[in-house]
Amino acid sequence: MKPLSDQNHYEILETHPTATKDEIERAYRLALATYSDDSLAGYSIFSKGDAAALRERIEAAYRVLSDSRMRREYDATLEVDREEDLPPAKPSAPLIPVEPAGAEGSLPSQAPAFAHIDDGVGEFDGERLRHFRIRCGMEIEDIARVTKIGPTYLRFIEEERFADLPDPVYVRGFVTAYANCVGLEGKDVAASYMKRFENDHRERRRGRFFESR
Amino acid sequence: MGDKLSKLATRLRGEPSSSGRAQLIPVGGGKGGVGKSFIVANLAASLARMGHRVVAVDGDLEGANLHTCVGISRPRASLADFVAQREEDLGKLVLDTPIPNLQLIAATDGNLATPQPKQSRRVRLMRELRELDAEFVFLDLGAGTHAAVMDYFMIGDDGVIVIMPEPTSVENAYGFVRAAFYRRLRLAMASHDMREIVTIAMDQRNERGIRTPLELLHEIQTLDPSEGARFVETMRAFRPRIVINGVRTAEDIKLGFSIQSVCRKYFGIEAEYLGYVNHDELVRRSIRARRPLIDVYPRSDAAIYISRIARKLLADAEAGQPHEGSV
Repeated sequence: MKPLSDQNHYEILETHPTATKDEIERAYRLALATYSDDSLAGYSIFSKGDAAALRERIEAAYRVLSDSRMRREYDATLEVDREEDLPPAKPSAPLIPVEPAGAEGSLPSQAPAFAHIDDGVGEFDGERLRHFRIRCGMEIEDIARVTKIGPTYLRFIEEERFADLPDPVYVRGFVTAYANCVGLEGKDVAASYMKRFENDHRERRRGRFFESR
Repeated sequence: MGDKLSKLATRLRGEPSSSGRAQLIPVGGGKGGVGKSFIVANLAASLARMGHRVVAVDGDLEGANLHTCVGISRPRASLADFVAQREEDLGKLVLDTPIPNLQLIAATDGNLATPQPKQSRRVRLMRELRELDAEFVFLDLGAGTHAAVMDYFMIGDDGVIVIMPEPTSVENAYGFVRAAFYRRLRLAMASHDMREIVTIAMDQRNERGIRTPLELLHEIQTLDPSEGARFVETMRAFRPRIVINGVRTAEDIKLGFSIQSVCRKYFGIEAEYLGYVNHDELVRRSIRARRPLIDVYPRSDAAIYISRIARKLLADAEAGQPHEGSV
């Protein structure tokens, strides 16, 4: 999410670099109407000063993009910027992790499209637990109050700071209680989470073993 | 294993799984009287007429009226029974309506002293809602932005916000988005300090001078980049869907696009413009007849617009995520 000051002309008009002249025109008219002083959509959000500044950016964008020659030159500067850019940022992980595909990948991978309908089954990691907590409108402290588990451990569970968590037998209990508290099947969630925890636990023990030799 | 595969295949086909996990659609709007219950009743009836199993849940324990909109005058069971722990199984509170495939959970006869469920009960309720045997579960929310309403709105990333083309409604709708946005954000922040900053920013005249969500993002990114990343991710997942109700002019129709733009530029969130319903005298008549418009006047303009929105909801559900683009 870029601040307005960093947005290019296309982003300001909320259109795209391959937009036709008509599309640019429509986008401009909508933007003007949206950020006029008496706009129903804008008046309660933007102050007069902010709206005026936005309109200035909109006019500047339209001046360039509505003129074919100026637009070509502007596009060229965008290309240069793009080449000079660092490698494109990795899109951040979806808030709801998508379950891995069936068995040995024999079925087509589950489309991320299903991501927002989280039905509470499948694999669980700290992130997905956190997502359910948010959906329940609960803070870490609320979970702590109900489960009597320290907020620090709950936070470590969400952040998967496995090394900072106690022995697996405790963690399993913690995760079960946490999951029950946010309306999930505690036992299933813990089974899934503990696989991740125990993998890590094993790795760490192996690490220590080699260190001690 | 076979069971797991069949479940996955069912989900890939976009059908409800055998365990009956429903698609939950909370419907709010901040202001009372903008037609939330009317929209819920009619979207639910519309999907039911298309052959989908729908449960419409009245989430307004202090101003229940969804039952009237779907043609039930005196519900014999109510969500209040669940809140008061008289009934543990939400499924038992589901009532048949005169419309095939459409069922209702009413919210009448609430306890005036303690109408709202306690938090643990609320969590239980959300779990039970997911378990209802239906493809779609609509949750009609009350007016205002208090915690109980906002929590229900957060059961999905893409709840529906109903807005009328009037200043009061638009202002309250932004208030609603703002409340949902900050609440979601505060819950997402891992550290106590960052949560404190979000809480400070929620006071719109805060002494830190944080005026907009973007300024808050900047502040958090500066103080703690990993929390900043969480902020951005939380915003990306939040995709409210807008319905403009009571449209009379072309300007009113465009309002949806303008609100979409303001959400993008001010909150940094992608709202979807789901559609609009025109002002229609038959709407009033259907409400007086205490039946969904879709049922009494299926050929009316407003009914046609509502069906269009219902089809879009269906497409969203099948695609699994809200569609962008034009109405």
